[in-house]
Amino acid sequence: MINLSDFLVVSAGLFCTGLFIILTKRNAIQVLIGIELMLNAANLNLVAFGRYDKIANGGQMFTLFSITLAAATTAVALAIILNVYKRYKTIDPDKIDSLKD
Amino acid sequence: METLPQQPGILTIQLALIAVLLPLLAAVINAFLRGKTNKAAGWVSNLAILGTCLLSVTVFFKVWNHTEVHQQWLWFTVGDMEFHAGVLLNNLSALMLSLVSLIALPVHLYSTAYMKGDGHYKRYFTYLSFFCFSMLALVVTDNLFLFYAFWELVGFSSYLLIGFWYTKPKAILANKKAFIINRIGDIGLLTAIILLYAQYHTSDIAQLFSNGTTGAALAAQMSGNAQWIACIGLFLAVAAKSAQFPLHTWLPDAMEGPTSISALIHAATMVAAGVFLLGRFYPVFTPTELTVLAVIGCFTAFMAATIALTQNDLKRILAYSTISQLGYMVMAMGIGAYASSFFHLVTHAFFKCLLFLVAGIVIHEVQHIKDEYQLDIDPQNILYMGGLRKKMPLTFIACIIAGFALIGLPFTSGYLSKDSILIQSFEWAEGKGLLHELIPVGALVTSWLTAFYVTRLIVKVFFGEFRLMEFDPNIKLHISDGNWQYRVPIMLLAICCLFPLFSYNPVLYEKAWLFNGFPLITGLDRVNIYHTIIPVLVNIAAILVMYWAWAVYMKKKALPLPETGFLFRFSYHQWYIDELYERMIVKPVMALSGLARWTDRNIIDGFIHLLANIGIAGAKIAEWLDRNIIDGLLHWLASLVLAIGNFARRFQNGRVQYYLFSMIAVILAIFIFKTLF
Repeated sequence: MINLSDFLVVSAGLFCTGLFIILTKRNAIQVLIGIELMLNAANLNLVAFGRYDKIANGGQMFTLFSITLAAATTAVALAIILNVYKRYKTIDPDKIDSLKD
Repeated sequence: METLPQQPGILTIQLALIAVLLPLLAAVINAFLRGKTNKAAGWVSNLAILGTCLLSVTVFFKVWNHTEVHQQWLWFTVGDMEFHAGVLLNNLSALMLSLVSLIALPVHLYSTAYMKGDGHYKRYFTYLSFFCFSMLALVVTDNLFLFYAFWELVGFSSYLLIGFWYTKPKAILANKKAFIINRIGDIGLLTAIILLYAQYHTSDIAQLFSNGTTGAALAAQMSGNAQWIACIGLFLAVAAKSAQFPLHTWLPDAMEGPTSISALIHAATMVAAGVFLLGRFYPVFTPTELTVLAVIGCFTAFMAATIALTQNDLKRILAYSTISQLGYMVMAMGIGAYASSFFHLVTHAFFKCLLFLVAGIVIHEVQHIKDEYQLDIDPQNILYMGGLRKKMPLTFIACIIAGFALIGLPFTSGYLSKDSILIQSFEWAEGKGLLHELIPVGALVTSWLTAFYVTRLIVKVFFGEFRLMEFDPNIKLHISDGNWQYRVPIMLLAICCLFPLFSYNPVLYEKAWLFNGFPLITGLDRVNIYHTIIPVLVNIAAILVMYWAWAVYMKKKALPLPETGFLFRFSYHQWYIDELYERMIVKPVMALSGLARWTDRNIIDGFIHLLANIGIAGAKIAEWLDRNIIDGLLHWLASLVLAIGNFARRFQNGRVQYYLFSMIAVILAIFIFKTLF
């Protein structure tokens, strides 16, 4: 029997992996992948908690919106990364620091 | 009172005032003219002096042997005392007024040619007109204090003109010397004026001297000390202005000025101011003091004549001859030959002015030769001249006339005035003892010495061969008498050097009209043998001396004194008087001022510097405190803020992942904190 806590453990693992990727990767696209992982961890949580709302299926609905929004934000983020590359000839987030004081 | 008889008097006063003020007007106009070499300046001054001359002669004919004219205006009031200033025209001042302007006129005309190429033509005429104003005002003023003021102005304009070429160091030295020596005389004159004022409570010359006061009466009124101190003061003034023995050394040096200036100021007019002063203040002197004056005058005349024998500088010879002749005038005053003294002053003014103008022409021409052939000679040295009579006949004749007048040969004006002094000196000494006889004998010897040096001068300059040819045989002499601005003045003056201007009888001075104008006439009656024997003796001896000098210098016979002998050197070095003053007065004064300077620098300045250094030390401490304590606190605060800021800015490094990491770290820290506590 798979309990709610198992979902939550997998979700937490996914979230931590995503966070680790975000903090350590030297490539903006990989950072974007980390964000997606964290988002999916949240989605997994929503779906897991959705079993407590069997009438409206609020969890699943919310997840659908979230996935759609994630696709949109990813598209925007990729466009930003493309522009950043054009301007700085790099997508290493550590190198792009011209907004510092 | 009677207003009608005063009318012509007032007119005369007005004419005299205009005559005096015209040169001042010219000086003011010249001062405001544009351009350093503006030719208009010469014509302004010339016109002014021409006007002055005409007016002065008119005044002279109105005043001479008429009643004296005296007009006063209130000058200022101190307490109850009223000071009047005005114009006093009597025979003496009318004579001097016309003499000064008559001498000044040819000199002005001459100057327009003499100063033609000078870079400061305008300044020259400004000074010249200013001098004429001062001298004329000195002659006519009736107030002791105004007299003193013009006396100073005359000295001041003389100072300006001696140093006219201010780039020549010798001229600057000469004008300083003249000014300093004249200060000594000025102090004397001021002392005398103050004493006279203290005694008589009036500064009016007419009131003091003209009211028939005899010398003895006026002198007796003054208390003993005041009287002789006043007389010493007056004597100092006379000696400084008229170059008498102890204070004569400035006059030869004053020849550094332009020659036309030497002619007007240092031969004819200003140096006569001393004798004029004696004439004005004559009643103050007692008989004893007059004798002292006679001794000093005679000594000066003799000394200057011996110096003139050996000098080589053309103008210096003439300067010493001027001193010698002034000595004659002072001596004549001393022996009571009052009228003769003024007679000699007048005649001397004409012939000495003429001699200087002649010297000016000669120097001018030699200077031309010097510039043309770039010779390294002194254009005033008579040893380089000679033979000029063929080239400059008019100058030569004028020089002969003036020279003969200076020697005192018959048919010249000098004969009349000089013999009257000599004769009266013999009459004065008669019966007074052997020592008194020294004065007329000294005067006699001086007149023969005069004959010698005048002959030497004329022979060296005008006879023989032109000695510069020996330096450079290629020299071509195209020199001449110069243009009409040279010729007219010397012709005018040469005519004035002859006897007809002064007397219809060329041999008997007693007939000269000038004597009629003075109250204290002596020696006019031909009572004794002197009146015949002295002129004859003097002139025969003078002609012999002249022949001797001619023989010595023309035919190159042996010199009367060897050039290495003591007497020659004594005369050549001008009796070592300058050296004596240098050692006895100048050196101690310089040492004293050196001491004063040392004291000033080391003690007074030292004290001030000590105070200053204390102040500086205090300021330095304050500065250190300011810099290190007050500023230090502020700087420390500022650097603290800077350190904090630098620490804080490390977080703002623009790296997104670092921000995120920090955020998570902080959140974690908060959670841990909350869990633990």
